Amino acid sequence: MKHSGHEWKSNTLPAFVTVAPVAVCMLFLVIVPLIYVVIMSFCSIDEYYNVVFRFTLKNYAMLADAQYTHIYLQSLLIAFLTTVFCILIAYPFSFLIARTKSRKKNIYYMMVIIPFWTNSLIRIYGWRTFLGTNGWLNNALRFLHLTDAPVNFLFNRGTTVLGMVYCLMPFMILPLYTSIEKLDQNLLEASADLGARRGATFLHVILPLTSGGIFSGSIMVFIPCLGYFFVSDILGGGNSDVIGNLIERQFQSGNNWPFGAALSIILIVITLLLVKCYQKIGGSMDALGV
Amino acid sequence: MKKKLICMVMTMMLTASMLAGCGASSKTASGSAGQLNVFVWTEYVPDSVFKKFESETGIKVNVSTYSSNEDMLAKVKSEAAGTYDIVQPSDYMVKSMIAQNMLEKLDQTKLTNLGNIGSQYLNASYDPGNVYSVPYQGGVAAIAVNTSVVKKEITGYADLFDPSLKNSLVVLDDYRAVIGMTERSMGLSMNETDKTKLAKVSDQLMKLKDNVKLYDSDSPKSALISGDCSAGFAWSAEIALAMEENPDIKIVYPKEGAYLFMDNWCITKGAKNYDAAMQFINFMLDSESAQMVSKEFPYLCPNTKAVAAMGSDYTDNPAKNPPADVIASGEYLEDLDSDTLSIYNDMWNKLKQ
Amino acid sequence: MKRKKREKARARGGVLFCVLVYLFLFLPILVIVVNSFNATTSKPYLSWKGFTFSWYAELFTNTDLLGAFGNTLILAGVSTLLSTMIGTLGAVGMYRYKFRGKGLIDAVLYIPVVIPEIVVGISLLTMFSRINIPRGMITLILSHVSFCIPFVIFNIRARLSGYDSSVEEASMDLGANRIRTFMEITLPILAPGIAGGALLAFTLSIDDVIISYFVNGQTMTYPLKVMESIRSGVAPDVNALSTLILIGTVLLVVLTQSDLIIKHRHY
Repeated sequence: MKHSGHEWKSNTLPAFVTVAPVAVCMLFLVIVPLIYVVIMSFCSIDEYYNVVFRFTLKNYAMLADAQYTHIYLQSLLIAFLTTVFCILIAYPFSFLIARTKSRKKNIYYMMVIIPFWTNSLIRIYGWRTFLGTNGWLNNALRFLHLTDAPVNFLFNRGTTVLGMVYCLMPFMILPLYTSIEKLDQNLLEASADLGARRGATFLHVILPLTSGGIFSGSIMVFIPCLGYFFVSDILGGGNSDVIGNLIERQFQSGNNWPFGAALSIILIVITLLLVKCYQKIGGSMDALGV
Repeated sequence: MKKKLICMVMTMMLTASMLAGCGASSKTASGSAGQLNVFVWTEYVPDSVFKKFESETGIKVNVSTYSSNEDMLAKVKSEAAGTYDIVQPSDYMVKSMIAQNMLEKLDQTKLTNLGNIGSQYLNASYDPGNVYSVPYQGGVAAIAVNTSVVKKEITGYADLFDPSLKNSLVVLDDYRAVIGMTERSMGLSMNETDKTKLAKVSDQLMKLKDNVKLYDSDSPKSALISGDCSAGFAWSAEIALAMEENPDIKIVYPKEGAYLFMDNWCITKGAKNYDAAMQFINFMLDSESAQMVSKEFPYLCPNTKAVAAMGSDYTDNPAKNPPADVIASGEYLEDLDSDTLSIYNDMWNKLKQ
Repeated sequence: MKRKKREKARARGGVLFCVLVYLFLFLPILVIVVNSFNATTSKPYLSWKGFTFSWYAELFTNTDLLGAFGNTLILAGVSTLLSTMIGTLGAVGMYRYKFRGKGLIDAVLYIPVVIPEIVVGISLLTMFSRINIPRGMITLILSHVSFCIPFVIFNIRARLSGYDSSVEEASMDLGANRIRTFMEITLPILAPGIAGGALLAFTLSIDDVIISYFVNGQTMTYPLKVMESIRSGVAPDVNALSTLILIGTVLLVVLTQSDLIIKHRHY
C-alpha cells in the first residue's frame, strides 16, 4: 500500500492534472473573494454610497458603535440558546434512535432527514402560519378553552430561536447519532457490571465518548446561526436581528459595502476563534464536513 | 445497491440537463421578439399586465422585485450597467438617480399615451418636463386600524406612538417612510435636516419601538388580515385590500398631513432593450393597463382616462382614491444630503436593534 | 418487579419524547401540505376556505415558478457534475501526491464548510461585481461549485482512507494505460464515496438560498422564488410544488433503499 511518490508520478494521472482544478477553484472562488472582502473593509464610500478605493479605518470604528454591538450580543445570545436547545433535544433523541434494536432504525434515521429536503424557507414560513394570531396553535388553544384572547407567539427573540433550532437541528443530530452509534456496548455493560449507576455511567463513560459529536454539532449549529438572516426576517419580524441581517442590509438597502465587509470580518474572526477552540479540545475537522 | 444510488444521481442529472435543454430552446424561441428586464416594487404590478404585454408584443418580460427605493438603488448599482431596463423609483429617488446619471432620457415621441395622465401629475418638481420619468401610481402611507381590536380613537400618526398599542403594529420596513411619519407626528417636515430637531425625532422614534410587532414593506396587509397586527403604518392600497378582506379594518388619514408618494417608470442608463422598454412604458400608460393595475393594486391612479372608466367603486373608495384634501395637505420626500441621511440611518438602526 | 415497571415507564417516556421530536420536525411540513389544498384565492392565503386540488393544476400554468424550479435543477445538476469531477480528481491527487501548498489547499477546503454562508455570498458578490461579470446562471454555478467541492472531497477522502493502491499498480502492470486504469480501477472503487459526495452536493445546491441570494442577478431559482413569494404571502401553488417535491424525494429514497444512504452519512 505504501509507495514512493516518485513511482506513482510516472505511472498514473499526474499530480498537476488531478490537483490543479481544485487549486484553481479554491484560489479564485474562495481565497480571492475573501481577500477582496478584507480590502473592501478598508475602502471608503462617496456621497452616493459608491465604493471608493481610498484607505480608511472608519468602517472598523463604526463597528464599535453601540447600535451595532447590541446586535452582536443579541446574535451571540440567539446562537448560544439555539445550540443549547439543539443539544438538549438532539442528544436524548439521537441516543434513543441510535441505540434502538428495532429493525426500523434506518427508517427512524431517514425520517430526521426527509423534512430537510423540503425548502427551508417554506418550512420556516410554515411555523409562521402555525404560530400566528389566528394560526393553528391559537385556534387549538381557543377550541380547548385554554385561552380567551389569542396568544402572541410571533415576531420576537423566542420565535427566532425556535426557527434557528428547527433549521439547524439535523446538524446536531447527525454528528451525535454517529458518535453514539460508535459506542461500544461492552463498555457500557462493563461499567454497569462494575456497579456504576446509570447516572455515573453516563457522566464518566458515555458523555466523554460522545463529546466529539457534541462539539462538532455545536460548531455546525452556532456559526450558521449568526448568519441566518432569513430566519429572523420571517419569524423575528425585524425585532431580533442577527449579524447576518446587518450584513445583508449593508449589501442590499443600506448600500454601504465597505461597512458590510467590515461586519463580515467580525463573522470570520468569530468563526476562526471557535474553530481554534474546537481544535484545541481535540475536535476533528473532518467531522464538520460530512 | 450502490449502483442504484449512482443511477439515481445520474437520473437526476439527466433530468436536469434535459430541462436545461428545454429551457434553452424556449428562450431562443421567444428571443426573436426580444426581451425586457423590469425591476419593480413587490405587490405593485400584476402578473396579468405583464402577460398581456407579452402576448401583444411577443417580448419576453423578466420581472424582479424590490422592497424599497434604497434596495432598488443598491441592486442597480451593484449589477452591471443595463442589467435592468426598467425601474420604478419614487419621486425623491428619481431626482437622486438623475443626479447620479443613472437614468436614460425617455423618447417622448414614443409616449403616445401620455395624454391619459392628468396634467396635475405631470411636470413634477423632481423631473420637470418628464424628461426621465412618467408617473405610474401614487398614494399615501396611511394608518390602518382594526377597530374590533383597537378601541382607542386614532386620528393621526402621533396616535401610533401611544403605549396602548404595545406590540401590535405592522410598519413599513423603510427608513425614510417611518422617520418621515415620526417627523410629521411632531409637526416637522419629513425632510428635516436640523440636527437638534433630529435628536428629538430620534427620541420620539424610540417610543415606537415597543409598539412595533412586525416590519414589512412588501405586504403589510398580510399581518393585518391574518390578525397578527391590529394597527399599522402602511401603503394606502395595502390597507384598501385589507379592508376588503376584513371590514373591521379602517383607513385613517393622519390629521398632521400625510406622507405622499408617486412612483414612476424610468429607464436605466445603458439599458440593453431601450426600444422594448419605451414600448412597455407606453403600454403601461394605456387606460386599459391602468385599470388592470388598479383592480389588483388600487393605489392613486394618475391615469385620468382610466379613472373615468373605473367608476364609483374606485372613485368613492377613500382608501383607493385618497381625497383631495389629503393630497393637498400631504408632503413628498426630498432627496437629502448624505450627512443627514447617515443621521437618519443611525436612528433607524437604533430603532431596529 | 418494581424495576421492570420502571424500565417500562422509561421506555414509554423515550418513545413519547421521540414522537414529540418527530412532530416538531414534521409540523411545518404538515402545514405546507394542508395549505396546498386550501381553496382560498385571496392573499395572504391563510384562512381555510375548503378543500381543492386546483392548486396542483394551477401549478402547471405558473411558468415563472416552474421556470425557477427548472433553473434550480439545471444549477444543481451542473454544479453537482462539475464539483464531483473536480472533487474526485482532487481527492485522488491529494491522497496520492505530496506537493508544496497541499497543506494550504487542505486548509482552504474547510473555509466554505465552516464559514457562515452569508460571508461566502457577499465575498463572491463583491468579486463578481469588481471584475464585472454579470450576475446570472454562470455566477450561480461558479458559486455553487465552490461550496460543493469540499463536501465531495471529504466524502471521497473518507472512502480513500482504507484504499489499497496496489490494484492500480497491477492494472498498469497488465498493460492498461493511466486513463484506463483510472476509469476502470480507481473510479469503481471510489464510486460509493463519489456518489455520496454527489448526492450531498446536489442536496446542498438545490436548497441553497443565502449564497444564491447575492449572486443570482435576475436568474430565479426555486428557493429564491419561495423567498419572493413569502414576502407577499405564500401562494398555495408554491405549497403544492413543495408537496410534490417532498413526495418525489421520499419515493426516491424508498426506491433506492435507505440503508445505503445512511451508511454514508449524508445529509
